[in-house]
Amino acid sequence: MMSLVWKLLRQHISIAQLAGFFFANLFGMFIVLLGLQFYTDVKPLFSQDDGFLKPEYLIVSKRISGMSVLGAGESCGFSEKDVADISSQSFCKSVGVFTASQYKVVCSMGVNGVARFGTDMFFESVPDKYVDTDLSNWTFSPEEGTIPIILPRTYLAIYNFGFAQSQSLPKISEGIVGMIDMLVVLRGNGQEQRLKGKVIGFSTRLNTILVPESFIQWSNAKFAPEADLTPNRLIVEVKNPTDDAIVKYINDHNYELEDDKLDAGKATYFLKLVTILVICIGMLISMLSFYILMLSIYLLVQKNTEKLRNLLLIGYSPVRVSLPYQMLTVGMNGVVLILSLTILFIVRRYYMNMLWVMFPQMQDGSMWPSICLGIGLFIVVSMINIVAVRNRVMKIWNRKE
Amino acid sequence: MNRIELHNTLPCVFEGRDVQSEVWLQDVVFRKGETYLVEASSGTGKSSLCSYIIGYRKDYLGNISFDGKDISKYGVSDWTSIRKNTLSLLFQELRLFPELTAMENIEIKNGLTGHKKRKEIELWFERLGIADKMDAKVGRMSFGQQQRVAMIRALVQPFDFLMVDEPISHLDDDNSAIMASIMMEEVQRQGAGVIVTSIGKHMEMPYTKTFRL
Repeated sequence: MMSLVWKLLRQHISIAQLAGFFFANLFGMFIVLLGLQFYTDVKPLFSQDDGFLKPEYLIVSKRISGMSVLGAGESCGFSEKDVADISSQSFCKSVGVFTASQYKVVCSMGVNGVARFGTDMFFESVPDKYVDTDLSNWTFSPEEGTIPIILPRTYLAIYNFGFAQSQSLPKISEGIVGMIDMLVVLRGNGQEQRLKGKVIGFSTRLNTILVPESFIQWSNAKFAPEADLTPNRLIVEVKNPTDDAIVKYINDHNYELEDDKLDAGKATYFLKLVTILVICIGMLISMLSFYILMLSIYLLVQKNTEKLRNLLLIGYSPVRVSLPYQMLTVGMNGVVLILSLTILFIVRRYYMNMLWVMFPQMQDGSMWPSICLGIGLFIVVSMINIVAVRNRVMKIWNRKE
Repeated sequence: MNRIELHNTLPCVFEGRDVQSEVWLQDVVFRKGETYLVEASSGTGKSSLCSYIIGYRKDYLGNISFDGKDISKYGVSDWTSIRKNTLSLLFQELRLFPELTAMENIEIKNGLTGHKKRKEIELWFERLGIADKMDAKVGRMSFGQQQRVAMIRALVQPFDFLMVDEPISHLDDDNSAIMASIMMEEVQRQGAGVIVTSIGKHMEMPYTKTFRL
């Protein structure tokens, strides 16, 4: 019987109008979802939280001039006076110094025992309170002999793009840093010791190979007991990283800030702007398509007013005569949702593959925000459709049509 | 439902006119189980009366009640239920669906009420002489044929009252007699009341009471 009602009420349905709605809505919905999805996928790349360094920590070094290279200018280390001066500034909460290893370090790296590449290197440490990690991982004891290490993230890129590619080794992501084995050989003061290194993470903001302070103290004492420990870099905890006074102070003293945050911030800002723009365009298209649908349904109800009225007069309830049009609209919204999510899924796979090639450390994000947004839009639009159809039918019931 | 009562009822458009009527501005009761004829001249508000009772229009003064309950208080679900289970109306303008076949027009109502078997409906088609039109689109049928389809549709539901608004205006005497007998069989089977309106030619039946509108 429902099919008879449908047979009756589908009269005057304009396929062209509905197709127009369908494709416009599909297009709009897809753009909205793609905008959000791309944003959620790409955002972590820009705003990669440096898990090991809070944003209030700034790294300050002295600007290296030609003179200092020749050894004729001022020293590139910070004197105790310099440190005290920074500490006394109003923007400064606390200052820590970088302590470098003063002996020879040779380190070889490999993945799961496969081919290694070795290099001379150095270690640095900052006071443990500046390192934002589980401190139980951030300890060193000479008996255990394993050094926890935080590497600059660029090292990962160097490995992945330079080394791994040329040696046909697997690329590694941050999730599997545990696979990296490091063998560290320390030499100095007439002694040599082999230790194991364990990479516990990567940092974007630290351009150094960071180890626990306890290790540096122990090793400097053991392998270079007489070395000069003038720090080259300071880690400064500030009250507000955006404070103008910081930049002024840094410039006045010819220091440098090691910070990529500004660029990332700008990029994130533009990313947000573009995303909002794209989503707005999508929304606009969706809204226009929604408008087409409503007009089309109103027109349909208008043309079928007499039939709807007769159905009501022979005992059909407004709910029942509204149902076919409600199902039609909700059904179309549903198909649009499923199709746009499907297309999104396909397109996302395509661009994610491209992104993975460029940023192997990228985490596989989730599609849930887009799915939720899609479902949310579907529910909102469908509810409006349902209410609008019902109101139109009630107008007929009340003889206002 | 046992009683349809009109108290001082008058279509709004007649307000201020000198109305001579046995229905308007009177106290009228239609009882279940009885048969009434409402005779009217054109423009005396016959179709208005039907529209008021079926809840389609409310532009009247005074009061109409079913079993003592004022029908102006009825809501959407009350009317839906009344139109489905209690009150059946054969509209003067028929209100059939021209794009459906005669049988589909019946089914769209019978499907809602589940009142009659297809066999019984087919039998009525045969008795009314339109069995060959069962699968014809109603829009292609003559008004007389459509009136017979509309009558069948009015009968495929449970009712306490059946109102038929000029049911035989386009039928010959033989066919109107068949229609009357089919109608009365079903009315008696259901123990219902009947209100027949007419502006001249009317079904020959033993009426309990005749009103001049």
